[in-house]
Amino acid sequence: MQNFTELERIDPERRGSNERIKDYKEIYEIFKTNDAATQAERCIQCGDPYCHNKCPLHNYIPFWLKATANIDKKLAFNLSNESNPFPEITGRICPVDRLCEGDCTLNQDGFGAITIGSIETFISENGFKHGLKPLFPGISSDKRVAVIGSGPSSMSVATYLLRAGIGVDMYEKASRPGGLLTYGIPNFKLNKKVVQRRYEWLKDAGLNLILNCEVGKDISFSEISKKCNGIFIGIGAQKPKKANIINEQSSGTLRALDFLINIQKKLFHESYDEKYDVKDKNVVVIGGGDTAMDCVRTAIREGAKSVKCLYRRDRVNMPGSKKEIKNAYDEGTQFIFNVTPKEIILNSDKKVIAVRMKKTMLTEKDNTGRQKVEVIKGSDFRIDTDIVIFSLGFEHEIPSFLAENGIEVNKYGGVIVDEHYETSKKGIFAGGDCQRGADLVVTAANDGKEAAHFIIKSLKRQEKII
Amino acid sequence: MNEYKNYFKDNCGFGLLANIDNKATHTNVEDAIRALEKMMHRGAVAADGKSGDGSGLLFGMPKSFMRKVAMQNGIDLPKQFAVAMVFMQEEKQKTIINDILAANDLKVLFYRKVPIDTKALGEFALKSLPEIVQIFVKPNSISATRRFALSMYIARREIEKRMQEYEEFYICSFSDKSISYKGLVMPTHIKQFYSDLSCKDFKTSFALFHQRFSTNTLPQWKLAQPFRSIAHNGEINSISANRFNLYAKSEYMKSSVFTDKEMKKILPITYNNVSDSASLDNMLEFLLANGIDFFKAARVLIPSAWQNAPHMDSNLRAFYEYMSTCFEAWDGPAAVSLTDGRHIGCILDRNGLRPAKYIITKDKRIIISSEYGILDIDENNVIERGKLKSGEMIGVDLKYGKILKNDDINNYLKELNPYGKWLNHNMVYLQEFVDLPFTDLSDYEMNNIIPMQKMANITYEAKDMVIIPMMEEGKENTGSMGDDTPLAAFSDKQRCFSDFFKQKFAQVTNPPIDPIRERIVMSLNTGFGEIRNILDEDITHAKRLKVITPILMKEKIDVLLSFGNPNKPRYDRFYKNKTFSTLFEENLKGSLNDLAYDVVDAVKMDRIRVVVLSDKGMDSKLKAIPMAMAVGRVNQVLLEEGIRHLVSIVCITSEPYDSHSMASLITYGASAIYPYLLFATVLEVCKNKKLSSYETKIRFKNVLNALNLGLFKIISKMGISTIASYRNSALMDIIGLSKNIAQDCFSYSSCIIPGLGYEDIEQRLNKVHKEVYTQNERNQVFPIKLGGFYKYLRGEEFHGFSPDVIFAIHKVAQSGKAEDFRMLSKLSNKNNLKRIRDFFELNSDKDPIDLKDVEPKEEIFKRFSTAAMSLGSISPEAHEALAEAMNTIGGKSNSGEGGEATKRLKSPQRSKIKQIASGRFGVTPEYLRSAQEIQIKLAQGAKPGEGGQLPGHKVSPFIASLRYTMPGVTLISPPPHHDIYSIEDLAQLIFDLKQINPDAMISVKLVSSSHVGTIAAGVAKCYADKIIISGADGGTGAAPLTSIKFAGDPWEIGLSDTHNTLKANHLREFVRLETDGGLRTGLDIIKAAMIGAESYAFGTGALAVLGCKILRICHLNKCSTGIATQDETLREHFVGNVQKLINYFTLLAEDTREILASIGYSSIEEIVGRSDLLRVVEDKKAKKFDFSNILKRIGGVDTCQKERNNPIDKNIFEKEILKEVYPTIQNPDNHIVIKKEICNINRSFGVLISGEIAKFYGNSGLPENAMIFKLKGTPGQSFGAFLVKGITLKLDGNGNDYVGKGMNGGKIIITPKNQGDSFSSAGNACLYGATGGKFYAVGNVGERFCVRNSGATAVVEGVGDHACEYMTGGVSVVLGNTGINFAAGMTGGVAFVYDKDRGFIDRLNQELVVARRIDSDETDEAKHFLKKLLRDYINETSSNKAKYILDNYRHEVREFWMIRPKDLTKTPLNPDEGD
Repeated sequence: MQNFTELERIDPERRGSNERIKDYKEIYEIFKTNDAATQAERCIQCGDPYCHNKCPLHNYIPFWLKATANIDKKLAFNLSNESNPFPEITGRICPVDRLCEGDCTLNQDGFGAITIGSIETFISENGFKHGLKPLFPGISSDKRVAVIGSGPSSMSVATYLLRAGIGVDMYEKASRPGGLLTYGIPNFKLNKKVVQRRYEWLKDAGLNLILNCEVGKDISFSEISKKCNGIFIGIGAQKPKKANIINEQSSGTLRALDFLINIQKKLFHESYDEKYDVKDKNVVVIGGGDTAMDCVRTAIREGAKSVKCLYRRDRVNMPGSKKEIKNAYDEGTQFIFNVTPKEIILNSDKKVIAVRMKKTMLTEKDNTGRQKVEVIKGSDFRIDTDIVIFSLGFEHEIPSFLAENGIEVNKYGGVIVDEHYETSKKGIFAGGDCQRGADLVVTAANDGKEAAHFIIKSLKRQEKII
Repeated sequence: MNEYKNYFKDNCGFGLLANIDNKATHTNVEDAIRALEKMMHRGAVAADGKSGDGSGLLFGMPKSFMRKVAMQNGIDLPKQFAVAMVFMQEEKQKTIINDILAANDLKVLFYRKVPIDTKALGEFALKSLPEIVQIFVKPNSISATRRFALSMYIARREIEKRMQEYEEFYICSFSDKSISYKGLVMPTHIKQFYSDLSCKDFKTSFALFHQRFSTNTLPQWKLAQPFRSIAHNGEINSISANRFNLYAKSEYMKSSVFTDKEMKKILPITYNNVSDSASLDNMLEFLLANGIDFFKAARVLIPSAWQNAPHMDSNLRAFYEYMSTCFEAWDGPAAVSLTDGRHIGCILDRNGLRPAKYIITKDKRIIISSEYGILDIDENNVIERGKLKSGEMIGVDLKYGKILKNDDINNYLKELNPYGKWLNHNMVYLQEFVDLPFTDLSDYEMNNIIPMQKMANITYEAKDMVIIPMMEEGKENTGSMGDDTPLAAFSDKQRCFSDFFKQKFAQVTNPPIDPIRERIVMSLNTGFGEIRNILDEDITHAKRLKVITPILMKEKIDVLLSFGNPNKPRYDRFYKNKTFSTLFEENLKGSLNDLAYDVVDAVKMDRIRVVVLSDKGMDSKLKAIPMAMAVGRVNQVLLEEGIRHLVSIVCITSEPYDSHSMASLITYGASAIYPYLLFATVLEVCKNKKLSSYETKIRFKNVLNALNLGLFKIISKMGISTIASYRNSALMDIIGLSKNIAQDCFSYSSCIIPGLGYEDIEQRLNKVHKEVYTQNERNQVFPIKLGGFYKYLRGEEFHGFSPDVIFAIHKVAQSGKAEDFRMLSKLSNKNNLKRIRDFFELNSDKDPIDLKDVEPKEEIFKRFSTAAMSLGSISPEAHEALAEAMNTIGGKSNSGEGGEATKRLKSPQRSKIKQIASGRFGVTPEYLRSAQEIQIKLAQGAKPGEGGQLPGHKVSPFIASLRYTMPGVTLISPPPHHDIYSIEDLAQLIFDLKQINPDAMISVKLVSSSHVGTIAAGVAKCYADKIIISGADGGTGAAPLTSIKFAGDPWEIGLSDTHNTLKANHLREFVRLETDGGLRTGLDIIKAAMIGAESYAFGTGALAVLGCKILRICHLNKCSTGIATQDETLREHFVGNVQKLINYFTLLAEDTREILASIGYSSIEEIVGRSDLLRVVEDKKAKKFDFSNILKRIGGVDTCQKERNNPIDKNIFEKEILKEVYPTIQNPDNHIVIKKEICNINRSFGVLISGEIAKFYGNSGLPENAMIFKLKGTPGQSFGAFLVKGITLKLDGNGNDYVGKGMNGGKIIITPKNQGDSFSSAGNACLYGATGGKFYAVGNVGERFCVRNSGATAVVEGVGDHACEYMTGGVSVVLGNTGINFAAGMTGGVAFVYDKDRGFIDRLNQELVVARRIDSDETDEAKHFLKKLLRDYINETSSNKAKYILDNYRHEVREFWMIRPKDLTKTPLNPDEGD
């Protein structure tokens, strides 16, 4: 270990941008065993493991790095799969430069962080290749838990409940499980088979997955309640935030997530809305987060004529993962920084033809170190385009069953929970975006893990009472 | 308050003189007193300036004098008479005495009030002056005539027992052969005090004399030495084990001279409340009284090292091995003179850690003492001037007027009985029955290994950090930085039970041993079977089962058990065993007692001799009593029942997995341990790695080896060399267990912060047990716990320096903003009661005051310093930033030991504190002279009692130049300072340092432990100006993990004890107190002040400010923050700077000020020692513990009142000479020659002058021979220490200990009048840590010559044991015999040894060095280099021996060996040619 002075950080091979935009395959290769080992060997094995500390799941990163360096695939696999319900997914999609790799001592001290994300993916993929898979003990409890939604937090809660031998009924309104993992994240970042694989194992472990079943619509909340001893709500937050500009709702203006979902459906050969086809069109994406990057890159793969990304701050201040921005840039996205949309300009057919923009500048840093955006007066200009995709973040959708069942939400619509992830209604838990607002997959995964822990405790309490 | 006074340690100067043919003269009396006077500097003086710690003499009975005195009292003494010397208090004591004497057929002739002159006494001594009387006694019957001495012994024991209510009552001596005159008198006043001694009729044939140095200031009359049969210089480190074992042995003793009834009167042999030396005296006297041969008695108590001495005479070894079945060593540094009236003798401990020098004269006298030169003896009268080597004894049989040398004594002892035959027939080594260890792995294939590991707290981390490194490296893992986790008692996580124990270690009054380089004295040899009557010898005593280490594997435990199993063919009733399960379901306390009494019954009824405690069979119902608790309880109950001697205790246990947990079983009584779960874990790892059976076996052996080395390390840090002397020693501090548990199981240990009782421990066990055995939803994929004890893991054990805290510190450092500091304070102070101080809150007796009325931050800065971190352990950039920042704010930085570049010494990057540690790296006159404070590091928080190592790859050319060595050479620091083996040695070093730099304050750094206050009191009496009590959580560049975690206590414990002990002894006003260990916030400072510290040091915290991130890889030279590394690329990543430190310390001082204001005090000075301003927080957790000892405040001055603590010796001698030579310092071309007579009270000659030269010229000194001193006589210790260039000391006479230590230049030439093998020319540890210069001495020198020499060139004609140890440079030539263990740990430099008798190679430690002949062409350079050197030597000394060699060089060159480190055989010979 501690080989960082001799070895540089190397990312796994990435397919060339010209080639990769032709398809939806993942762009990164998985590390070869030796590369993973030598990269892992760079790890310092800190006394204060900052990566582990920063990781929302508090993965045992230094431990599995060492196991990887020692080419002990089973140990690495088990360590990695202990704290993480789906390490091969977080390894692929986590914004590691803001999390583990960002806090990695070597990154902070200027040596280049350990390639934690890629090694995490390697550990599980390599393990699967060699026949390892997460083990479940089988259902041993007579208690059952219902999980609403099948996104990351739900998947996580199910994993940890099943590990404890508790049966899970999972209700998903879509035809495939995975929530955002399946529909919100493009294939080139996360091959859908990866999500599917996890679900197959969960089903083997005893998960009762009920698809095409929206709670409150296809089945009532009270019916679910009757069938189980505890409920977890993990329905996400998918309602797009608004830009509040003129003509925001027009033909040719799209919402990021709708765009991604429809393209994904298209790729699944399911029915989708054709207004999301962008082939040979000029596309403008407004926003600078990871979803914006997903949109521009998807648009490129869909054959858009041109793809522009407009963002109101500068490049340094982009909230998205640096890696994704780089990938988007390499794949042909044009970035226009320090601009903000004022109006969608429509033609007489009410179709989008352009966006009117204003230039912005950043103020001096305030006490919190944050720079505010100021619009420069009279700096209007116009960008011609056929499609505008808004990627400005998400808000909560508030299904009616919440209020009907006395589950309180906060003023933003988020489900209120206590420190045990329990909602205002006893025995009903919630986690992930629907509770905290749009956040990372890994955060949702941790919510699910923690919630599972408290659900189990509450089930045990019930047992005692009985 | 008494608790702070009654605990003490003592060391001293000692000696004896005798007329070999038993001629009584008054000259002997006068000479003995004179000798004593001349060793006054080895004792201490009380605060009244006159009392002294006690001195005395034990004379051969001055019969004619006593007859005369009796006549004056109207009594004509019969042929047989005895005189008791008694310290009495009351008349009615006489009645008791008379009754008991009469009952023992002894007739009291009369009482004589001993004439005394109280003007000789100091104030303290006068206050406690007893009535000193002599009782003249004669036998009262025929049988009493025959058993006169025995009757007196019984009578005395009886009287002592009856007088227990009179604490001060004491019988100094009661014998017909000897009489003691002693008291709380300074040696210079003893003659005045006892006028008898001036009487010309007072004639004696021998005298033992002793000058005491005690660590407390209110010593008692009765503690003065000599005792009745010994005078002891040193300390018995194993005393607690020896006493315990003695009680066990006393359970069954049959005396051939005393009846059982009489024995009852005599027993117990000793008590726990007397000093270690007094206990040794009790024991020796008991053996002698029982007719044990004088020499045998001496050698069984203080044996020489026999277990690992390969070339020892096999019969002598058999003697020792046989004796080991009855006696374990009273281990520790010791020079003991002893007598039974007919014989006198002197023994040195096995490690040679005290000096014992002797002179035999033509007029048939022998004088043995700590120093040469205590009597003026004409050189023409001297036949032999020698010294005892490690483990040697010398004796005189006065009856036949014969001197018995070591070989004579050994030859006598080994023939006393056919020991070899007895052993051959009876002693069995388990190894004989084991074909191949670690072949039978069946026991390690466990299907329930996971729950077992969870119960034993074997986490993934424990495997990764502790077990696997042992498997791979064969030694314990090294770590770095400090321990920032809470004490086990305060933790709410699962902890091993052994975490409650903190290892004890040696500091100051006794030295630790280097178990690696001085392996030769160490042994883990363990025996099984009952202890038989120690008072006789017969073949059955040899009946023992033996192993070479107490850690057993399956094969050995099987063999052991087979010997005790009636169903096995090997069965032998002497080893009958029974296994007792330690498992229980509920009721820990009851189960523990049931276990203990089951054992007792089995031993009594079933004659069980090997008690096996086993925790096998745990399941969801049964859990185990912590093994240490079981062992401790069983051990104590067996002793209470009087049957401890019958059995050996063996543990079959899942708990221990490192050396600390093993040691904590052994120290409470286990003979052997079978750690089956550890071995199962090893097998598990091997299997996972798919290792072959051969590879697997190696892993097992490695683990065993690592544990053995770990045990060596643990016992050696207490200065104990054999496991037999460690077993039953209870050498651990217990923190946080209740008094009940401590009393029941660990009663010999200090119980600090009494707290958790049986119920709490049971609750903790239940919690874990439940977690392990109930379905646990977490950790399903990876079933064992991850850890978090060694490194931070979220949600696991608390770490003081967690990532959040580190980020907060970095933020403060960067921003310098008060709000950021408040965040840090909040984070740091809200720990949920994890550290001792967290349990205290401020409880002021005043109203808040305005902040502006509080002293300014500048005043507070003066109290801040950075903790010692050497350049070498940290990078130059970090080192300089610390220095500059501290200088800027007006605090002090500490250089750490390792030198400092000359250009920094007068710049803003100068470290005001210069440290001097055991390695003496870069410790030169210039370095010392540049200091404002010189800190002597006696122990380090992270690894008290251990040395260190700077691996070769960290020794860059720059570091090498500062440390006077070559780049790439591994630098080893020894565990002890080789010039501090005891308290008077420390006084000597402090004296040396006060000469070299009279302007500097001398501070001494100790590590917190129970009773450290006692040590500190001694240190104050050594004239230290400041004492630092370091917390055990302190950091390190590298140390074994078990040391970082388990040795030493938090600072609160030691600081409070020290503050109060100093107060109780009226010493607080003489010294300042400082503390360090995790101080970070103003609240920490305030609390430390209130507990007693006046100043505060910052180590890890200061590094964190510079960017340290607690990576814990300091030992790897890979620090990515560029702090703990010398790698140039890494250093470029250093982000620290002076401003960051200033930011932090400014905010810290401001924080401190704010708190001061809030409690209504305007300065720190006002709150120092005000523990009454603290109170224990209201909290459920806090209620469990008793903090009263830490918050105790006794009356007295709370702060230092003196500018300096000046030694009583003003060194007038050299001050006068300095005036004479001053013109030469002013004008170096003005060469000067001075002629003087010198004697042993003129200590540290040359040091004051060297310091004065270094002040102006640094290490460049003066031109060669600018000052020549022609001296005649025997100078005191440290002659020519820290000598600087330009001074030449020519001595016509011989030197004492530490000649030329730390010398940097100049010359020391010693030419005694007598030449030849029989004449010593200097004492021990000469040239220790020398960095240059020349040392030529005609004659032998003592032990440990040239230890840590890094540049001096030396030629001598014979050396003692351990010469050239840790040498890293320079040249050492020995034209004669060497002792054993030559060149141990030598990593640089070259030695030449003239080996005429061809025995040298056996005495060479070949681990790191290689010896070559120098008579071939290949070694031409060496041959001529040596020749040139010899020529120079002859020019300076006219040595006959050298002249002979040189005259016949062509022939004699073949007799030389050249010794060089194995990996440095190509470097130039001449140090001047090096880099």
